[in-house]
Amino acid sequence: MRRSSLLSLGMVLLFAMAVGILGARAQEKPRPGGVLAWFDYGDPGRLDVHAESPLVVQQAAAGIWRGIIQWDPDDPTKIAPDLAEKWTVSPDGKTYTFQLRKRVKWHDGQPFSSADVKASFDRLLSPDFKSPKCGASLKPIVADVEAVDASTVQFKLRFATPVFLPSLASAWCRVAARHVLEKYGDLNRPEAQIGTGPFRFKRYERGNLIEWEKNKDYFVPGLPYLDGVKQYILVGGPTQLAAAKAGKVLLWDTWPPMLKTQADELQRARGGAVEIYQWPLNTINLVYLNTTRAPFNNPDIRRAVHLAVDRQEIVQKALEGAGVPCAILDPKLVGDFALPLEEVQQLPGCRQPKDADLAEARKLVEKHYPNGIDVEIAFRAVGNYADRSQLVAAQLRKIGIRGTLRSYESAAGYAAYGKGDITMIATQDRAMDTTDPSNVFHIVYTTEAGSNYARWSDPKIDELADKALKESNRDRRKQLYWELQRHILTSPTGAIAVGWVEGWYFRDKRLMNYKPAPTAYDANTFMKVWLKEERAQ
Amino acid sequence: MMGRASAGALATTSGSTIRPRARAGGIIREVGRFAIRQPLGATGAVIVLVLIATALLAPALAPHGPRDAAFTPYQPPSAGFPLGTDNLGRDVLSRVMWGARLSLYVGLVSVVFGITLGALWGVVTGYVGGVADSASQRVVDSLMALPPIILALSLMAALGQSVNNVILALTLLLAPTAARTMRSLALVLREAEYVEAARAIGCRGWRVIARHVVPNTLATYIVLVTVNISYAIVVEASLSFLGLGAPPDEPSWGAMLTAGTQAIEAAPWTFLFPGLAISLTVFGLNLLGDAIRDLTDPRLRGGLG
Repeated sequence: MRRSSLLSLGMVLLFAMAVGILGARAQEKPRPGGVLAWFDYGDPGRLDVHAESPLVVQQAAAGIWRGIIQWDPDDPTKIAPDLAEKWTVSPDGKTYTFQLRKRVKWHDGQPFSSADVKASFDRLLSPDFKSPKCGASLKPIVADVEAVDASTVQFKLRFATPVFLPSLASAWCRVAARHVLEKYGDLNRPEAQIGTGPFRFKRYERGNLIEWEKNKDYFVPGLPYLDGVKQYILVGGPTQLAAAKAGKVLLWDTWPPMLKTQADELQRARGGAVEIYQWPLNTINLVYLNTTRAPFNNPDIRRAVHLAVDRQEIVQKALEGAGVPCAILDPKLVGDFALPLEEVQQLPGCRQPKDADLAEARKLVEKHYPNGIDVEIAFRAVGNYADRSQLVAAQLRKIGIRGTLRSYESAAGYAAYGKGDITMIATQDRAMDTTDPSNVFHIVYTTEAGSNYARWSDPKIDELADKALKESNRDRRKQLYWELQRHILTSPTGAIAVGWVEGWYFRDKRLMNYKPAPTAYDANTFMKVWLKEERAQ
Repeated sequence: MMGRASAGALATTSGSTIRPRARAGGIIREVGRFAIRQPLGATGAVIVLVLIATALLAPALAPHGPRDAAFTPYQPPSAGFPLGTDNLGRDVLSRVMWGARLSLYVGLVSVVFGITLGALWGVVTGYVGGVADSASQRVVDSLMALPPIILALSLMAALGQSVNNVILALTLLLAPTAARTMRSLALVLREAEYVEAARAIGCRGWRVIARHVVPNTLATYIVLVTVNISYAIVVEASLSFLGLGAPPDEPSWGAMLTAGTQAIEAAPWTFLFPGLAISLTVFGLNLLGDAIRDLTDPRLRGGLG
């Protein structure tokens, strides 16, 4: 009961709305066949789901892989079995024993066993292996993984925590075949995409198309319904919208969301053929300052940027109002774990009007750089990042920071960010892997966070995040997260929370039994989705 | 012949000691004759003059800063914002004006660099001939074999986004064409009698090139410069449209077009006005370039004779 109350009333209402709007079609009898066409917002470049963090990588092979457990495709707020049929928990809550399915085969015909699970999680949890998603979530929690027998695997935790199962169910914690890892060393190439999922990896044309085909030996009888899935690589909102208006893609439930203007344009073009809905993407937008490089190794300059960035203006203009400015945690997604927005929006940097904050920021910059500062501001050339970056650059000019914008191709940008080869990132969305409030801290703010592009380290953040992770009492946990949020919002950290991103999406009404999920990663396997009528390809 | 004669007559007039008022009257008369004989060229000249004036005076004329995202997004054209506002709440008129500055700067600088580099390359190798000429022509062949926009895109992808890199890419794009054109002219000129005479009296090669060949290629050089400015502006706009030109916050017409595609139906003014600016500029420059070509080409009618 305690856990069930973790999700906020708002989240429950959103899912109820989704079920109401999108779920009625589930009553019809599924029809096998057809190919679903949709899109990836950029070229993934690399395909290793264990080693990467961009949505494009996860989405590129989402239907290929399965995990031990999953977010239930029928009710994405609940955890359900996947490669494990069932599991038990020791009385102290520190040992989880999973009974794996038997007679599951990899796409190359090899049998699946606990050795594959152990090989995958040994890789993910290895201190030498950088895993910004699954590894970053599980490394603080899991001490050891043991294959008890061919179909039993045991996870031994460092401490009992309610976060373990949601983290394990993440779409990034997928099981790869030991023989594939041994053969290729990683999962980057298309030929290494040998999973146990409902679809097989068919082809990857760089910059153009990723295609899956039905796995006729999928371990759930009768699934999937679709013959295949095509993901066109469409970069840029206008291109994506043009494809949607022409009916070339049947679904837009991925990053970046449509802006209201685009959703209205699509509605006018497609009329009743599409269903448009608003949805939180469980994604936070950030400005990153590299704290190891000048000028942002100076806390005064970081504070100046904190004060100058006008989160409300970015949400209003670049997201057309669809977002929650300033918040480290979004109350719609995590309920009262989020610091009340009334308090957040009174804090320096977030409060409106910004005159006092801008005056202080100018003073801080002038104190150290009387002639102002010239900095290179990086952004990835995807979504509407160019627009958001221009807003950030314009806001910083008001305090004497003159930015030169530098765009990166998507994969090249992530590579530069990962290496710390940037001074500042104007805008970067980070999608959460779960709906647990701990997620954002372990993705963005702790020293070992998977997306700590600021190279920021604050012992107090690490300590509070760790305490909250181990805390089983909900009220105490909530207090820890409030303290954590207050500390981050008032410290010159290297990651400035602009806000939580929302937006509009659409489903072609021929696409049936599609259910939006609470994260950007959990509704893209399409194992239970079907097409109402044959679509000419 | 007619072009050179006309140029000589103008030089004589301007070199005389007549009163400034009479000289001004002469210039006005010449402009009037140009407008009558080349009405399209005159139209082009007016458009180009307006463009230059806008570019030079943009800081004074533009009602707002090109990067001031201080207004409500997607406001339709009104008295306050004659061309409306864009998706970030910037004044489209101000950005179009500042865009003229960027376009003209990129167009002029890249064309002067590119055509000058290509012209020197073509004249020298054409005059020298032999292995140097053959080798240079193979380089020109290989550069011209690549589609220009692909070459420009590749260069920008390699160099990174900046206005200076756009100029560099355009310079490399324009130089081979200029080299090919000027080489063919140099091949003809090196056989001219006065060039042979210069060689016969012992002039060194570089002196012959500098004193006798280059001056006789100037008319072609000017035409090449004029007709390629519009080309350079279009390529810059194309690169910016594709996100590989000027950095996104630079008020580039091409980048404004890209931003405008986000709301073609809801806010057509964000797309329409930068598009019109590009079309009008290219139209004006082409008209003027054609007129100058007519004036300097003795085989075409319409000179100022």
